[in-house]
Amino acid sequence: MGAIVWKDLLSELRNRDTVMSLFVLGVLVLVIFQFALNLSPAETRRLAPGMLWTAIVFSSSIAIGRTLISEREAGCLGALVIAPIDRGSIFIAKLVVNVVILSVFEVTLVPVFALMADVSILTVWPQLAVVMFAGTLGLAAVGTLFALAAAGTRARETMLPLIALPLEIPLLLAAVQCTEAVLTGASLTGLGAWANLLFAFDALFVAVGWLAFEFVAVE
Amino acid sequence: MTQRVPVRLETWSLRLAPPLATLFIPIAVVAIFFWVPTDAGLGLSQRIFYFHVPCALAAFASYAAAGLCGIAYLRYSRSEWDHASNAAVGTGMLFGSLVLITGSIWAKTAWGTWWTWDARLTTFLILWLVFASYAMLRALGRGNDMTPRYAAVLAIVGTLNIPLVMVATKLWRTIHPQVIGNPKGGIEDPRMLATLGLGMVAILALCVWFWALRSRILRVEEKLSVLEASRP
Repeated sequence: MGAIVWKDLLSELRNRDTVMSLFVLGVLVLVIFQFALNLSPAETRRLAPGMLWTAIVFSSSIAIGRTLISEREAGCLGALVIAPIDRGSIFIAKLVVNVVILSVFEVTLVPVFALMADVSILTVWPQLAVVMFAGTLGLAAVGTLFALAAAGTRARETMLPLIALPLEIPLLLAAVQCTEAVLTGASLTGLGAWANLLFAFDALFVAVGWLAFEFVAVE
Repeated sequence: MTQRVPVRLETWSLRLAPPLATLFIPIAVVAIFFWVPTDAGLGLSQRIFYFHVPCALAAFASYAAAGLCGIAYLRYSRSEWDHASNAAVGTGMLFGSLVLITGSIWAKTAWGTWWTWDARLTTFLILWLVFASYAMLRALGRGNDMTPRYAAVLAIVGTLNIPLVMVATKLWRTIHPQVIGNPKGGIEDPRMLATLGLGMVAILALCVWFWALRSRILRVEEKLSVLEASRP
């Protein structure tokens, strides 16, 4: 399992395709929001958490399938499936890779976002990091689980956002509300029901992905 | 053995559901338009409720059935379960669309708007979108042997996601009337409850009938494609 994670991260590190495209796409979404809605500084600050998560959700749903789709094309997945390891472990490994890639992307995007929206993250960054991680884990779990399904259809890359986005709506709502609370100075214990929902979503999709990969990763 | 279960369900459904639906749909229509008293607060428009709520029940039951049949398909790998799951998503989409349409019509008269981002409307819209993506996966994945497996996982995940969607949208906002189990402002007239019951039996019977027909069509189509492939 460690070997899969290492191999994928190394190949990503060598060409940096995914993180670069994610970053540019994320910044573009933020900029397009500004132009499309013509926001005043006060409005920007109010809408900031929603804009940030929209940028993350759209960029990730487009880019996240790559780690599995490129493997399928190279025939590597077939080899992984017949390797003497639990297929659930392949899911966990892929999930870890996607979480790491998305986290690197967010670490680069959030400072740009903070500058654009004029919100201060210097004092709240530990809480913000926890919320961002929880949101990212859920996004990565849904994306990893359905990347193979999308790759098997005629629509290929277009299919993954179609499947993932409706499923991710509860996560998006919870992540936006938690981020908003954190940015206005709430502590992690003060997030209440929204944080529970966020963690419940993570737990559900990681567990289902781990169990279901046994049945879908058959080549 | 297990592949007989969906086929047997289908056969019994085709025996029981058509007479039930044929009997109860006219009775329910008569009850809704001529027998049940008009609601004091909402007036005539409230009568759509006897159609709207049974449709919502049928849609929820269909989605749950799709998830359960999906689990059975992954467990036993019999295509009969896959057809049962696929057919249930079909009826779920049909009745789910009817819920959105009838809800919209009622909202226009009661709230003065076709759509609001209320919790239950939003919940239903999200569910509808999730299972619409199931239909897309089916359509675009045709010809791939793995599509039924992916579709089963999507049906299971979509069903498991229902409670989370409900919690999320409820936390978000709600103005939808809470009618059942509400001590204040709920329906009390026994004739109203009876009409609602009639509507539920009628719509559920229709839903089961459609499900069985669709499931049988999918099975026959598969047999046909196998026969055509083996023709010399």
